[in-house]
Amino acid sequence: MSLYTYLLIAAIMFTVGAYGIITQRSGIKILMCIELMLNSANLNLVAFSSFNNNSTGQVFALFSIAIAAAEAAIGFAILVALFRVRDTINLDNINILRW
Amino acid sequence: MFGDYAALIVLLPVLAFVLTLFLGKKLYSGGALLPIAAIAGSFIISFGTFLEIYPDKTIQQSLSWFAGMNIGILIDPLAVVMLMMVSFVSLLIHIYAVGYMAHDPAKPRYFAETSLFTAAMLGVILSDNILQFFIAWELVGLCSYLLIGFWYHKPSAAAAAKKAFLVTRVGDVLFLAGIVLLYFNMSEVVSSRAFSLEPGSFILQFKSMFAAIPHIPPGQLTLITLLFFGGAVGKSGQFPLHGWLPDAMEGPTTVSALIHAATMVTAGVYLVARTFPMFVAAPNSLLVVAYIGGFTALFAATMGLVMNDIKRVLAYSTVSQLGYMMLGLGAAGMAIGAGAVGISMFHLISHAFFKALMFLCAGSVIHAVGTNDIREMGGLFGKMKITAITMIIAALALAGIGIPLVNFGIPFSIGTSGFFSKDAIIEGAFAYGEQTGDLIPYVFAILAALLTSIYIFRLWFMTFTGTPRSERHAHESPNVMTRPLIILAVFALFFGYTQSGFYGYVDKNFELMGVEMAVHEGEAVPPSIIIVFMPVIVGVLGFLISYYIYYQRKLDVSKFITSENPVYKLLINRYYEPKLASDIIGVKLTHNVVAQSGEFVDRKIIDGLIIDNIIGRTAFKLGEVMRRLQTGVVQNYAAVIILGIGLLVILLMLGGV
Repeated sequence: MSLYTYLLIAAIMFTVGAYGIITQRSGIKILMCIELMLNSANLNLVAFSSFNNNSTGQVFALFSIAIAAAEAAIGFAILVALFRVRDTINLDNINILRW
Repeated sequence: MFGDYAALIVLLPVLAFVLTLFLGKKLYSGGALLPIAAIAGSFIISFGTFLEIYPDKTIQQSLSWFAGMNIGILIDPLAVVMLMMVSFVSLLIHIYAVGYMAHDPAKPRYFAETSLFTAAMLGVILSDNILQFFIAWELVGLCSYLLIGFWYHKPSAAAAAKKAFLVTRVGDVLFLAGIVLLYFNMSEVVSSRAFSLEPGSFILQFKSMFAAIPHIPPGQLTLITLLFFGGAVGKSGQFPLHGWLPDAMEGPTTVSALIHAATMVTAGVYLVARTFPMFVAAPNSLLVVAYIGGFTALFAATMGLVMNDIKRVLAYSTVSQLGYMMLGLGAAGMAIGAGAVGISMFHLISHAFFKALMFLCAGSVIHAVGTNDIREMGGLFGKMKITAITMIIAALALAGIGIPLVNFGIPFSIGTSGFFSKDAIIEGAFAYGEQTGDLIPYVFAILAALLTSIYIFRLWFMTFTGTPRSERHAHESPNVMTRPLIILAVFALFFGYTQSGFYGYVDKNFELMGVEMAVHEGEAVPPSIIIVFMPVIVGVLGFLISYYIYYQRKLDVSKFITSENPVYKLLINRYYEPKLASDIIGVKLTHNVVAQSGEFVDRKIIDGLIIDNIIGRTAFKLGEVMRRLQTGVVQNYAAVIILGIGLLVILLMLGGV
């Protein structure tokens, strides 16, 4: 498989994630989409690393995964807390920051 | 050796001001010692400098500042005599204040401010250019405001401070306009190459100004000098800007003594004396100086006759005496030219001694009886001998009592300092009258001399003789207060004997600067005996009138002192000047017309029309529309971000980077 294939897959993953963020209303789905985008970036890093024989990218991807884990934990915690207060995680109803 | 440290004359009191202001509470006696030490230092340096430069040297030090201006000091005969007088009198007043202000909780502030006041005045005297002069001059005005309003919790004191500041400000604006006009003319003269500055000298230095006099058009010169004189009118309390000076009595008595004798009102006279070559070159201005001075001398003396506040009588007396000094500069200036400076400065200094003495005596009396009203005093002679005797010495000096023995072939005359100094001015006014036939200034001076003598002895008799008119246990003041009285009394008595030496020294002032002044024609005719005796005759006459009315009480003046008598009403209301100043100019003109129309423009037009209707509504409407952009839905923001990044990527690809 060429580098091009990896990059194409990553691009598709990223676009799917972005599309999901814009269109979905459920908080959990949005969080999953964000993870998808992050992982597409990770895929790019690993692919470049492997094809350039430079391990820096892979190390970087490891860091990125760890941070993504932490972020997911905080994100879900917020959603749980939100659900307890508002009985919903539909983001359309969570808009008190508006004018 | 002292001359090298001349800058310290100003800097020492400034240093004392800073230290006393911040550390005064922790220092002995509320920080009184530092200013006293600093001003004593100023006096010692001044005196040492005098000994060094006497009889015919001057000291000039100058640093370039900005745009052709400089800062510098100039010590010539005129400056050095003023320096010695101001630092000496101020020193005595500071020592006296240790006793007088002993019970005041705000002593550090008091001593800090008086120290700065003295420094500012010394700065005025030392300046070698008119700009620096003006800066120090303004500093004097600021300090007078702070000190007149020293007891700021008293509404009358706060109002008096405000009045002093505003009224002198009128003069200051004129003075500044004069400086601007002078600068304009000077640069005109320099750029037209009619006159070139000496190397190392600066455009607004006094010596450059004097050297350029022949090249400035006479009309401009007259205008400049009149504007300068306007500044002097404000600062020296000349008619019509005299009203603040009697009101300034709201401050502590020691402050009044400082203002009246040493540190403030003399600045105006000094300004005219300092720029005297310009005045001599503009005779019309000299005429104005003479008339304003003469009129003020008489005008203020009439009000001094009826005042019942001991300090207010003295205040009018100061206004009147300053009128004499201006008269001396103006009338004698026209008659004998440069010599007028010596005559006027001599009166200024002798006046400083006896007027400081009078105020300190008044302070001693007020300290003892706790009131300012002479109707409630009386019979204090037995209880306060030192104060009473020093006060009568001051009164004799003010009235100019003495015997002009010189005219009988005896080499000296006997008299108080005021006798020598005031008579010279009156004779100067007469010499002017004889030369031009215009005797009005002389008549002003003689009538004022008569009234001066009446009011000052009225004050003395009502305060110290007769039976006590109130139940107060007066006592002599402590030594720290009476010693300065005695020293000042010695000067008030004997300073007059330095007259010929003083004239000889100060008259050389402008020669030393290389200024040629127009010499006036006319022989020095020795005035006839009657003219020589006239001031003394009216002085004694005034004494006798007061003695008759207020000591022997043979003449009942209570019929005169009623509110029905229009003359008395006019005088006790001070010619309605306070009413005019506060009601007409203050309330009707400034408040009702200027301030209210300003308020209308501000509230209705700027706030109402422009801000509310145009700017306000536009911003409001725009906000209504624009805030719809903030949906609060995170996805919308995310979509915009992604769209934006997409656009950027496309642009980059098209740009082919």
